[in-house]
Amino acid sequence: MADPLHQFQIQKVVDLPVIDVAGVPVDLSITNSVLAMLIGVGAVIVFFSLTTARASIIPGRFQVMAEGLFGLIDDLAESIIGHDGRAFFPFVFTLFLFILSCNLVGMTTYFTATSQLAVTAMLAILTIGTVIVVGILRNGLGFFKLFCPSGVPLLILPILIPIEIISFLMRPITLTLRLFGNMVGGHIVMKVFAGFIVALASAGVAGYLGGFVSLTAVVALTALEFLVAYLQAFVFAVLACVYLNDVVNLHHH
Amino acid sequence: MSVTSSPEATAATDTSADAPVTTVATLEPVAEAQASAEAAHGDTHTTTAHAEEHASGGLPQFQTEHWAGQMVWLVIIFLVLFVLIAKVFAPRLRKVIDTRGATIAEDLANARAIRDEAEAQAKDAAAETAAAHVAARKLAADAKAKAAAEQAAAQAKEDARLNAVLAESEASIRAKRDEALSHVTEIATDTASALIEKLTGKAPTKTALTAALKKA
Repeated sequence: MADPLHQFQIQKVVDLPVIDVAGVPVDLSITNSVLAMLIGVGAVIVFFSLTTARASIIPGRFQVMAEGLFGLIDDLAESIIGHDGRAFFPFVFTLFLFILSCNLVGMTTYFTATSQLAVTAMLAILTIGTVIVVGILRNGLGFFKLFCPSGVPLLILPILIPIEIISFLMRPITLTLRLFGNMVGGHIVMKVFAGFIVALASAGVAGYLGGFVSLTAVVALTALEFLVAYLQAFVFAVLACVYLNDVVNLHHH
Repeated sequence: MSVTSSPEATAATDTSADAPVTTVATLEPVAEAQASAEAAHGDTHTTTAHAEEHASGGLPQFQTEHWAGQMVWLVIIFLVLFVLIAKVFAPRLRKVIDTRGATIAEDLANARAIRDEAEAQAKDAAAETAAAHVAARKLAADAKAKAAAEQAAAQAKEDARLNAVLAESEASIRAKRDEALSHVTEIATDTASALIEKLTGKAPTKTALTAALKKA
């Protein structure tokens, strides 16, 4: 029976040299993880190139899909961040499409790049990094007011400020682990149940019923995983908007 | 199961960049153990717990030697997608959506203007119809009045003519009667003279006849 963890094993597809960046060896080889990202993002680029190249006022089916995704994130950014949402739309839309495409490539059983801790961590770092850079560019040192909500009694501040700082520091960690955990958990469970089918069916007639139950479970789980693939991309986009809103509209706090 | 938990195996699982084969090999017993369906869940759990204990074992995601490459590639791919979205896709989509909105708004405004115009025209037409009605009614009344007046005039004229004829006839009858009455004395004189002449053989005198007739 296949090992349910084997699907997360990084394998080199194209060997490229290892370079040293400040003492850290960076293996630039194209691995299955990198290839999955390239396939997902490549598909996104091809899809959007084709649908927007001859975008017409009366849209075709695929243009409706592209505009649907666009409208979803555009409305999200504007409703959470407000009028400035448009400025951050490309970033949030990129995050959403990147995670969604990687999740969906994972559903085609090739490789799930978003089940790699390095990938989800980097996405979280990019998000929080953008939040910090935007916060400091727009508010200067006023950025640190983020940890000191106005209208709070002085007595509570010594307790509140550490809590705010800790909650801010937890953001990249929760962003990383939420996506990572969802993708890893879902794919392991699918693999395990798929393994049951073979194991039980090969155990003889008595195992057929169990095998059939496992098969049903795998079908149901696959549907659920498609939902999770979309939902996690959406959740990541929503949280990116919420965190950006905190620093963009700091003076409203 | 026992193989995975043994210290030798864990040591082997602590792999470095150049020993991917060892990792696969150590994971193999786990897979075999999972052949029994009931044990499978427990095994996965053990492996995960195991991975947490020894940061680099169990889950392949914790093999940090692959991290840097993935992160660098992710940033490159992410930036390419970001630039394409920010410079190409988003402006194109926003343009087409805005154009559509503007077109729809324009069409709506045009339709509204045309509707208003049509309404105004309908109002004008209704007013014209009403005016025509009034004019027609007036015309009819005028014609009626004129006809009545003409008829009355004709009648009066005819009446006058008939009255004139009547008066004339009455006058002529009266004249004729008077004339006839004036001849009565003459006829009586003549008749009486003839009668007397026949009876007496001698014509009476005129004065005698007149006196006699006056007595009668």
